Amino acid sequence: MAAWDLNVTVEDLGPDAPPLQISVNSDLHIGGVILKLVEQTNLKRDWSDHALWWEQKQQWLLRTGWTLDKCGVHADARLIFTPQHKPLRLGLPNGATLKMRACFSSPVFRTVMGICRVLNLRHPEELSLLRPVEEKKKKKDKDSSEELYDLTDVPLTAGSVQALYNGMPAHFADSPKTEAVYKMLSVSLPSPAPEAIAKLYRPASVVDKTHIHTRWLDSSRSLMQQGIQENDKLGLRFKYYSFHDMDPKYDAVRLTQLYEQARWAILLEDIDCTEEEMMLFGALQYHIGKLSLSQDVVSSCQGMDDLESALKSLEVKMVGDSNSTDMLDNMTAPELNDYLKIFRPKRLTLKGYKQYWCKFQDTSISYYKSKEDRCGEPIQQLNLKGCEVAPDVNVAGQKFCIRLLIPAPEGMNEIYLRCENEKQYSQWMAACKLASKGLTLLDSSYQSEVQNIQTFLSMQRSSSAAPTAQTDDSINTHSLVSPRYQKKYKPKQLTPRILEAYQNVAQLSLTSAILKFLQIWQALPDFGISYFMVRFKGSRKDEVLGIANNRLIRIDLGVGDVVKTWRYSNMRQWNVNWDIRQVAIEFDGNINIAFGCVNADCKVVHEYIGGYIFLSTRARQQSDTLNEELFHKLTGGHEAL
Amino acid sequence: MDDIDAMFSDMMQEMDLLTQSFEAEIVSVPLPKPSSIPDPQEMNFSIGFTDLNASLHDMEDNDLDALMADLVADISATEEKFATDRDAFKGSAPVASIPSQPQSNFSLQASADTSRPATSFNSIAAQPPPPTSTPSKEELEEQMKADKIKLALEKLKEAKVKKLVVKVELTDGSSKTLMVDERQTVRDVMDNLFEKTHCDCNVDWSVCETNPDLQTERGFEDHENLVEPLSTWTRDTENKVLFQEKKDKYEVFRNPQNFYLWKKDKKSLTDMKDKDKEQLLEENFCGASVIVPDLEAVLYMKEDGKKSWKQRYFLLRASGLYYSPKGKTKASRDLVCLVQFDNVNVYYCKEYRIKYKAPTDHCFILKHPQIQKESQYIKYLCCDDERSMTLWVTGIRIAKYGKQLYDNYKAAVRKAAGSATWANRTIQTSSSASTPSPTPKAKAANGHAPQPAVETKGPGNQTSFPEILPPPPPDPMLPPPLSAPSSTTNVNKIPPPPQFPQSSFPPPPMDDMPPPPPPPEDELPPDFMPPPPPSLTSYGGAAPPPPPPPPEPLSSLPPAPPAPQNFASAGGAPPPPPPPPPPPAPEPAAHRPPGTIRKVAPSPPQRTTAQLTAPSGGDFMSELMTAMHKKRGQQ
Repeated sequence: MAAWDLNVTVEDLGPDAPPLQISVNSDLHIGGVILKLVEQTNLKRDWSDHALWWEQKQQWLLRTGWTLDKCGVHADARLIFTPQHKPLRLGLPNGATLKMRACFSSPVFRTVMGICRVLNLRHPEELSLLRPVEEKKKKKDKDSSEELYDLTDVPLTAGSVQALYNGMPAHFADSPKTEAVYKMLSVSLPSPAPEAIAKLYRPASVVDKTHIHTRWLDSSRSLMQQGIQENDKLGLRFKYYSFHDMDPKYDAVRLTQLYEQARWAILLEDIDCTEEEMMLFGALQYHIGKLSLSQDVVSSCQGMDDLESALKSLEVKMVGDSNSTDMLDNMTAPELNDYLKIFRPKRLTLKGYKQYWCKFQDTSISYYKSKEDRCGEPIQQLNLKGCEVAPDVNVAGQKFCIRLLIPAPEGMNEIYLRCENEKQYSQWMAACKLASKGLTLLDSSYQSEVQNIQTFLSMQRSSSAAPTAQTDDSINTHSLVSPRYQKKYKPKQLTPRILEAYQNVAQLSLTSAILKFLQIWQALPDFGISYFMVRFKGSRKDEVLGIANNRLIRIDLGVGDVVKTWRYSNMRQWNVNWDIRQVAIEFDGNINIAFGCVNADCKVVHEYIGGYIFLSTRARQQSDTLNEELFHKLTGGHEAL
Repeated sequence: MDDIDAMFSDMMQEMDLLTQSFEAEIVSVPLPKPSSIPDPQEMNFSIGFTDLNASLHDMEDNDLDALMADLVADISATEEKFATDRDAFKGSAPVASIPSQPQSNFSLQASADTSRPATSFNSIAAQPPPPTSTPSKEELEEQMKADKIKLALEKLKEAKVKKLVVKVELTDGSSKTLMVDERQTVRDVMDNLFEKTHCDCNVDWSVCETNPDLQTERGFEDHENLVEPLSTWTRDTENKVLFQEKKDKYEVFRNPQNFYLWKKDKKSLTDMKDKDKEQLLEENFCGASVIVPDLEAVLYMKEDGKKSWKQRYFLLRASGLYYSPKGKTKASRDLVCLVQFDNVNVYYCKEYRIKYKAPTDHCFILKHPQIQKESQYIKYLCCDDERSMTLWVTGIRIAKYGKQLYDNYKAAVRKAAGSATWANRTIQTSSSASTPSPTPKAKAANGHAPQPAVETKGPGNQTSFPEILPPPPPDPMLPPPLSAPSSTTNVNKIPPPPQFPQSSFPPPPMDDMPPPPPPPEDELPPDFMPPPPPSLTSYGGAAPPPPPPPPEPLSSLPPAPPAPQNFASAGGAPPPPPPPPPPPAPEPAAHRPPGTIRKVAPSPPQRTTAQLTAPSGGDFMSELMTAMHKKRGQQ
């Protein structure tokens, strides 16, 4: 058999080096080619990660046992000898960019698994990579200002079990630099400036939302095959909205990143919500942000709950052990006593606030004409149990009112308490809030409640004074809501609304606040729907197909309404005609639908549906190992076969 | 030291007053309120009677028996607890004979602030018994004193537990009277009612409240506490508590497709396979967050304070009930929130076409539970038909209670299945009086177990109960005077599962246990007496076991309500002659307007209150006793 020359570019020799020419014959297997190549370079180094990339065919020659003949390589082939793992700039759900090595030769599905292993994210099958939005080239190069985290030095370990060191996976504990990366991953980032939110791309309609999903990479092909180059930027996101087995104990990074993705989805109006919901999201963001700041990396998330339970048992112990005198002290509940102004709005009265001597005891407020009368019968006693408490505060205007709606058989009694200053307000407000839940001043949460109210007030003060100033404990409430509400409300209007919602969440721990955020997000009607522009067979207009974890939705673009819903549980089979790029699905009862994709590759749609079906099989499989084969079977299409 | 002594004796006096107030509470009359806002804590009611005396006469004989038994069982349960503690203690340390040593179990509870649930009893249970090496004398004294105080606080706490006598109307027009403890959930109360009514225990049974003023009806959810909502009723209320089967209580779990796929055509809904139903439930109730049915429709709403009903397009979301204002899209951002569900309940309404000129009779309202009369704070809504109304009301319940609702359902199913099993068993054992009578206390403890959400509400001693329960009462040591034959057989045949949620036939076996054998009273030093008044306890002790007062030959008739019998005997309280009545009360009944509700709850442990109400207490007790006496005489 005749020998012929094969040209191979070795990247490590430098970009301008000419290709090496090696003499081969068709029987030589790929391993032999590599061996010859390495000998010829005369470079002593670890070549184990290198492999041959066939440029014209856009494919890797990874089977070292195959002969050149079998691979179809002839003398005209331009091969490149290059490392399989290359650095990649990864845009994380929290907006940070992380530089790390990823595998460019294996299918994206496995590449993501590798990335997630390094980042300590469980259940990598829920995530995938997508191309970033094409940024319009601006004159200023923004990349220089972008903070870049670097994990390229961290070796990719094969082992799946991560040893923990200092509360983080061992490979993060190497240096302060990597520790900082772990902190970035596992602790939610401070709220962005409102301007930054406003500047980012927001989908304005369902049609815009369909564009997002055109950008997903194909999970069954490698990065290189999809034209991704070294140091390119890709986004890492949760792709499938079906989160399996979320455990705060192991999922610090996963939980944080999921929270960040949800937060941005809400801030950027990817998912619609009502004003009330937005205020609650805002309050939770504020709370999470505040708690995250006060956390150090190590005790975050993992240690937190243990610590809390330890504290609790300690508390119990103390209470149990306390001597009898203490217990007697405890039996007499503390009170609040002060002059407050009281106002009861009634129809057709112009009476304003009137000053009374008020006493807060247990769960009720008694008020008297003056301090001297306090031993007699009160003018009235208000029991706050079960009442609604709302703030009516304007720091700039020095107005500190508490609005009480006290239920009575005849209806609700509306009463305003006006406090003199912040301190008085926060004490009484906290007491009212606790009393509405049936708790007294004795409750251990009283002090923290007071503090919470104070910090929130200070936030309002600073935000109204200097809207751009960003200090540690004060943030602009505008950065907690989407631009729509930034436009609708001024910070001083927004703050009381968020404060009101905040009262209901202020007692949550960091982890439970994040879980609550995710819970409300997942309860939104539009949650977890990925939109695609499609054209149904036999229809002349473009329509939108929504894919969720349990159903497909057909949306009429003209009206914006859901026309039809099909559930996977009724699905018999689906297949793709790759020649005409059409997806055909058959449901129970002889219902057949078929559609072609307008702006996305139909592989993406196919993969989405198959992916959800794959995810739904997880609950049944107890083992932790991922059934990669099944995934490709369900999502791969003709390439996999 | 002297200080402490003085303080202690003060305390003890106070305790005694409180103990008396335990009787007193039964009739304590709400003082006229100076303000228009009633203070629910201070109103004492019982539900459903015109006034106390009338109610006593009204009561069915066996009702009375049952009630008495409830009371006694309650007391003996507490006694039992103390006795068990003491016994346990006796075994381990010589100091046991000192009355004030049952401490360890009480420390936590006593010191915990009343409004806060005592966190855990395990920690205490783990506490080792006092060292066997004899402690120094001072230490001992110190210890004793501390313990006494703890005990006193414990009593105080027990005395604070609010109890209501509730008259529950049944579908056949008759009624049952039972005592409800503020720690009991509706589930517990229903279990109790199952025992008393011998119905089939299916999941549809529910306890409902009706309000004739507003013409509303609402089924309480199983996890709710019954005492709390009832105590906010006005004194002159005509509200009623009903025990009836409500089909739509758990319909959503039987046919989830009717709620979650309501848009689909009827045929595909009725053809739904069980597997698909299960999957629907799984999807909507078992995820990270409960999914609320995506209801949207045109409903009529009565404008605030106006008479007219306006049509609006309403949407239900997990966060509340919204409508889209005129000229706006139904995009989330444009929706206006009518109401969020944190502070309101949803009520079915009757005949609103006449009352409020509603377009149809299928109306529901949303209001704060304390609102009892027409008010601008009530949201009135009207649906086109009944199906739509059921959809909305159920949807709102799902939004409000979330997963709890599903848990309730599962518990109810277990209960129903368990009762079926139980029924079979009883037939096998053919022990006639086998239907066990529940002790309210034990019930409460049982009920709490499967519902962690409610658990926190139960004050400490409630939670402690299961710990005492698992080992069956030491029969040989403390032979229950008379009840033993029937109930013990059951106990032996069916090993009581120590933990509820897992067991396939939950409550019944437990039911047997609770009526605990009365402790040998003579050994009980007065210090052990929990809140129940000394006079009451003495019934048990003084009772020279005369046969319990079975009104009928119960033992041969399974369907006959054996409750009273078991109770009485278990409590060892065949009523003796009335106790020496304390100074008569200032005729409480006279104050009460007709149709009154009386609260049986103890008044807050303020000295003044106790003194005020104490005298009246004996009155009720003696009244009760007389009534029972009379009845016995009739036999």
